[in-house]
Amino acid sequence: MNIISSYSIKGGVGKTALAVNLAFALRESGHRTLLIDLDPQGAAAFYFRVGSAKKFRMADKQSLAEGLLRNIRESDFPGLDILPSNLAYRHFDIVLDGMAKRRKQLRMVLEEFTPDYDVIVMDCPPNITLLSENIFRASDAIIVPVIPTVLSQRTLEQLSGFFRDEELPGDILRPFFSMVQKRNKMHREIMAELPAVYPGFLKTVIPFSADIEKMGLRRMPLLAYSATCEAALSYRTLCDEILSQTGPRPC
Amino acid sequence: MDVRVQKNEFARLALPDDLGLERLQKEWSLDIQPQESKTLIFWDSFEWGVWFGGYALYSCGERYHLSVRQAGWSEPALCEEQTKGRPRFWQDFETGPLRTALQELLGLRGLTPVAEGIFRQRRCDLRNDLEKVVCRLVLTSVSSAGKRGEKELLQSCQVLSLRGYESEAARVVECLTECGARGCEDAPLDVLLRYTHTLPQKYTLRPAFGLDMTTPARKATGRIVRTMLELAVSNLPGILNDLDTEFLHDYRICLRKMRSVLSLVKGVYPAEETQRMRQLLGDLARQTNRLRDLDVYLLAREEYLGLLPQELRPALNGMFTDFTAERGKEVRRTTSKIRSPSIRCLLKEIEHCFCEKTLHRASPAAELPVGPLVFSGIYKRYRKICKIAAQIDTETPDEGVHQLRIECKKLRYLMEFFGEMIPHEDGAALQKVLRRLQGRLGEFNDASVQQKSLLDYWKQKKPGSAVSLGLGGLISVLYQRQQQTRALIQQSLEEFCNGSTAAIFKRTFKLPASAPATDAP
Repeated sequence: MNIISSYSIKGGVGKTALAVNLAFALRESGHRTLLIDLDPQGAAAFYFRVGSAKKFRMADKQSLAEGLLRNIRESDFPGLDILPSNLAYRHFDIVLDGMAKRRKQLRMVLEEFTPDYDVIVMDCPPNITLLSENIFRASDAIIVPVIPTVLSQRTLEQLSGFFRDEELPGDILRPFFSMVQKRNKMHREIMAELPAVYPGFLKTVIPFSADIEKMGLRRMPLLAYSATCEAALSYRTLCDEILSQTGPRPC
Repeated sequence: MDVRVQKNEFARLALPDDLGLERLQKEWSLDIQPQESKTLIFWDSFEWGVWFGGYALYSCGERYHLSVRQAGWSEPALCEEQTKGRPRFWQDFETGPLRTALQELLGLRGLTPVAEGIFRQRRCDLRNDLEKVVCRLVLTSVSSAGKRGEKELLQSCQVLSLRGYESEAARVVECLTECGARGCEDAPLDVLLRYTHTLPQKYTLRPAFGLDMTTPARKATGRIVRTMLELAVSNLPGILNDLDTEFLHDYRICLRKMRSVLSLVKGVYPAEETQRMRQLLGDLARQTNRLRDLDVYLLAREEYLGLLPQELRPALNGMFTDFTAERGKEVRRTTSKIRSPSIRCLLKEIEHCFCEKTLHRASPAAELPVGPLVFSGIYKRYRKICKIAAQIDTETPDEGVHQLRIECKKLRYLMEFFGEMIPHEDGAALQKVLRRLQGRLGEFNDASVQQKSLLDYWKQKKPGSAVSLGLGGLISVLYQRQQQTRALIQQSLEEFCNGSTAAIFKRTFKLPASAPATDAP
C-alpha cells in the first residue's frame, strides 16, 4: 500500500484540488483508493458530497483506527472511498501527544487499512504540527503544490529546512508547480530556477484554470465532469509521474 | 477458483409488477439509467461441469462470459472473451483465465446450450439531500427466449449498498418490502432452468444401486444392468451429434459393465439368456471399437508429438490427418448403425430382458442373498490374480500381462457394483491399491496395443519416408515406455498380493466355511 500526501505549509495553493483529482486518477487507473481528509475545513469530502465524520473516541491507536474505519464512506465512483474530516481533528495534536511513539502513530494506524486499499491519499492541513510530523513519517511521498511566487518558494524552503533539521528523508518531498499562468513573467522565471535547487521536483505542471475552480459548484472532481480539459489531462500526467517514482517505504 | 457473490450485494428481491419505485421517490431522488436488453445463451457440458463447479458460462453474440452461478446479471464476469465462431471445447478459447477455468470445469467434454433468456436491465442510483449516491439498485427482468417464445419469468432487484451507507440500503429494502417485494435467492440461470424443467444432475458411471447383503441376487443384478443400460442410452444423443469423445467412451464402459456383471455373478439368470445378452452387449460394443481407437490416438496427438524430437514431429502430422479423415467416416458409419432399427431393437430386447416384471425360468442363484455370493466371488478373484501374479516376470509375454489386467478389471467392477456393502475404509484402501495397479497395467497394455497398431500403419508406408521414420521413432519410444512400466507393475503386484492388502481382502471377503456356495451355480 502506498501513502501519498498532498501537503503545503501555505494555504490556497491547490492542495485539496490535487488530493481530490489525484485520488480520482488513481482510482481510474485501477487502484483501490482511500482519500483521507485531515483538514478540519473538510473541503475534500465536500467535493464528494460526503458529510462530516461522526465523533469518535481517540484515546489510543486501537480506538483511533476503529473510529476512522467506521467513518469511511464510499464515493459515487466505485473504487474510491472517502474518510471525511471532522472539526474534532483540530485536537489531533493533543491526542497524538499523549501516545507512545507519538511521531509514528499515524503510520501504525494506517497499516490497519492495508487489506482494503492499494493507495491512500491524504489531504493535509496547512501547518507544521505534531500531526504534520506524523504525516511526514507515514507517507511514501509528500506532494507539495508550489505556486511560482516568492511566498510559495519561501514556504518550500521552510519545509525543506524542517526535513533537514528533523532528519526526515528529504527524497520523499515532491514539489510541483501549481496554478501556473504561463503569461506571468515572474512565474516563468521562478519555474526556470527552482527545480534545479530541488532534485525531486516533478516535471508536470498544473495550470491555473477556471475549470478547476468550478469544482466547488459541481461538487465533484474535475476529472469527473471535464475529463479532457487541459487541467484534467495534467492531473492524469501528474498521477502517472508520481506512480512511476513512488514505492512504499520500508517500515 | 474462489467462488463468491458480489461483495456489496445487500439484498436480492423479487418485485411485484408495480416496482415500488414511486415509494422510494418519497425519500430519495432517483437517477434511472436507460434500459439495456440482451439475449444470453447459457452453456454447459453433459455432466454440468460448469454448474457443479459453481459457475455460469453465457454468451452474448460471440462474447463469452464466466461468472459466479449465484451472482446476478449485474455483476461483472470473472473473465470473458470475444470468440470467433462457436467454441466447443476449452481449447477453442484463446485467453488465459477463461481457457484455464474451462479446462478444469470441462475436461474432455464439449459445450452445449442449456438455456436462453432475454435480460432487460435498468440501473438506478438513489441520492440523498446532498445529491450523494447512497444506494444503488439493479432492476432486471428475465424472460424466456428460444423456441418456446418470450415470457417474463422474473422481475428482480439487487440492492447494492455503499460502504458507510448500509443503513440507507436497509431502509430501501424495508420500503420495497412494504410494496410487496420478497427475498429472492434465484440467479437468472436458476429461473430459466426451472422454466424448462431442467434439473442439473450429477453424472457418474459409478452410481449407487441401493443394494444390501440380503438383496436377492437376480434382483440386484437386474437393478445394476437396468441402471447401466439407462446410462448407456443417455449417452446416445451425444454420440449421434458427435459432441465430444466421452459419450462413446462412457457408452462402451456401460456396455462392458453390464456384460461383466452377468458373468461375475453366475447362475442368476438362465444360462442361455445370459449367453444371449452377453453376446448382444459384446456386438454393440464391437461396432464402436475402431472409432474409440481413433479417438484415443487423436486425443493423444500432443503427447505423441511430445515424445519425438522437433525434427520428426511434422512427419507424424500426415498420420493424424489420415486418422482424422478416417474418424469422420467412422462417425458416419457408427451413427448410422446406432440410428438403425436393428440396434434400437437390440437395446429394446436387453431392456425387456432385465425389466423387473419380465419372468425368467428358475436358476440356481437367483434368490440367494447377493452379499455372500459376491464377497466369495471377490475373494476368489483376488486369489486368482495373486496366482497369475506369481508367474509374472520380466519375460512374461504381453498376453500374460493382458490377462492379469482383465482379471483386475473384473475385480474392480465387482467391488464397484457392490461397494455399498463393503466397509467404507477397507473398500477405499483396497480400491486405492487396485487403481494404482490397474493404472500401470493399463499403461502397459496401451503401449503394447498402440505399438501393434502403429506397426500396421507403418507397414503401409514407403520405407525410409519421413512418415516411416517418425513412426519408427514413436514405436521405439512406446516400446521403451512399456519396458519401464513392466518394472513398476512388479512393484504394484508386490504391494497388491502381500502385506496389509492381502490381510484386508481376507478379513473382509473370506467367508466362513458354512457360507453358501459362490461363484458357481
